[in-house]
Order: sequence, then structure tokens, then C-alpha cells
Amino acid sequence: MKLLVFLGLAGLLASAAVPQADSSGKTAGTPGAPITIEVYSDFQCPHCKTLHDEILPRLMNDYVSTGKVYLIYREFPLPNHPYALQAAAYACAAERLGRYEQVASLLFRTQEAWSTSGKIEKAISGGLTPEEMKQLHALAKDPGVDAEVRRDIDLGRKANVTQTPTMIITHRLTQYPVAGVPDYGLLHSLLDAQLAK
Amino acid sequence: MPNWRNRVLRALWLLLRFALGGVFLYAACLKLRTPWQLFAISVDAYRLLPHWAVVTVARTLPWAELLLGSLLIAGRFLRVATVAASFLLLLFFIAMVRSYASGLSIDCGCFGGGDPISARTLARDGGFLLGSFLLTAITLRRRASARVGPAPRTR
Repeated sequence: MKLLVFLGLAGLLASAAVPQADSSGKTAGTPGAPITIEVYSDFQCPHCKTLHDEILPRLMNDYVSTGKVYLIYREFPLPNHPYALQAAAYACAAERLGRYEQVASLLFRTQEAWSTSGKIEKAISGGLTPEEMKQLHALAKDPGVDAEVRRDIDLGRKANVTQTPTMIITHRLTQYPVAGVPDYGLLHSLLDAQLAK
Repeated sequence: MPNWRNRVLRALWLLLRFALGGVFLYAACLKLRTPWQLFAISVDAYRLLPHWAVVTVARTLPWAELLLGSLLIAGRFLRVATVAASFLLLLFFIAMVRSYASGLSIDCGCFGGGDPISARTLARDGGFLLGSFLLTAITLRRRASARVGPAPRTR
């Protein structure tokens, strides 16, 4: 009996010590991970699409799902991209419906189309139900969503972000900015070196 | 008049030596205090070198900058140091102009991160290059006149 109680307690402690990975919204992974990466991105920027399509899935697989990296997506629409701010608002609105990753992926997949036409809703309608689209339409005009995008932009400016994509890698209170789309091998080497410290 | 000209040249020579030496030391320290992979990512972004060369450059260039900066400030091996500094700055400038002209939106990598290539960074590095050329010319000229030695005195 004592053994069973002991094992039960040990199991409870172990599950409390390893927080579960979460990738529902603008964050992915466990908040207590040794490294935090903030990704400042613009949905209308082609390099951000490359980062989203080629680098982030590998990063998620190797570091986020294993609890080594906590990923935070931040909006940083550039002023020279006329529809980027609106796209960021739709993505933030989608987060409130728990569909950030789906909408972000759709925005990048259809980037070429809406970047010229400006028809963002049409571009993302394929991935959401009509009911969700109605909610998204209303939420995208919410001042709270706009404030969230502005807050991300302000955070980026404070972190000296000047271009997209930019990843701010934080390990033990030290920040390393990585601008552009890095070679995954070098990024892998950088993260491993930090984790080995 | 020649005496006045020599004094100006000497002052300019000293100013350029300390300014360029300081720039090299500053750039080296910024790179050496961060993981080498960060500089490697900046070098790789230029899309000029294969992976092995990117790693080699990222691991050795900051030390070369440190050495050059120290030599320029200490005034040792100046002929070699000034020629090497000019050659290095010329390579950097060509790489930056090429990237800027081809529309690559990348970090310059000159002084750590957060320094994207722009007209401003090109003007800055162009200034360093001109200063380095001038320093090399003055150094080589001083060396040549020292080798000839002082003119013989005539009555």
C-alpha cells in the first residue's frame, strides 16, 4: 500500500515537473524551456514565408516539441507592405478562435494572391467554416486586436528589429538577434551550443 | 612649407591609424563576445561562400580583425597591416555592394546584428575603405622616404 502511494505521488510530481507542450495560439512549446525564440514576422514578406515553410517546422520538430525551445510569434508588419497590417489583424483575431496557426499558414500559402489583390478574407476562407469566418470578420475590427498588433510592433522596435523575419533568441537573459532566414544547420549549431552551456 | 605639409600628413596618419584600429578592435570585440554561429549566419546570408568557408570565416575573421586593430594602434608591421586592412575592407565593400544591388535584405554583419545593409552602411564602410587606402598610401610613402634617408647637407 505504501509503495502504491509512493509511486502515485512520484507520478504526480513528475507530471507537474514536465509542463505539457502547447501550440494552440501565438506560442508553441513549454514556457519553462531553456531557450525562448520570438519570431518577428510580416505575412506579406516572402522571406517570412520561407522561414515559416522551411525553418520553423524543423525547429518545432527538433526543439519545440522536445521542450528545449519556447516559440513566440510576434507581428511586425512593415510599412512598405500595404496589406501586412490587415493580415496581422486577421491572424491575431484567429488566435482568439484558437486558429492562429491555421490562419497563419493559409496567409503564407496564399501570400502571392492577396499581396496583389488585397483580398485577405477570400484567401483564408478556404480553411475556416462560414461561422468562423463571420466571427473572424468581427474580431479583426476589434480595437483589442489592433492593440495587440501595435504591442507586438512596439516590442519589436524596443528589441531593435529593423527587418523581417527576425528571431530574437533568449537564453539565460542574453538575447541574440538573428535577422533573415538562417541556414538551419547553423541555427541548429547555435541552439545546441547554448543548450550545452 | 614642406615641414608644415609633413606635420599635417603625420597628424592624419596617426588619426587614421587610431580610428581604423579602433574600428577593427570594436568590430572584433562585438563578434567575439557572441557565439560564432551568429556571425556565421550573417556571413552565410551573403550567399557567396560554401558552408565550410562560412564556418572558417566566422571562426577566424574576428581574430584577424583583433590582430589588425592591435597592430594599427601599436604601430607594428604597419606596411603589412595597412595593406591587409585595405584588402579586407575592399572585400567587405564589394560583398555589401553586390548584396545591396541584388536587393538582398540582409544584415551587414560588420558590428554584430541589427545592422541591415543600406545606403548609410555603404557610405560608412566606403568611408572606412577610403581612409584605409589613404593610410596605406601614407604608410608606404613614409617607408619609402625613410629608406632613401635624409638628404645630404650642402653648404
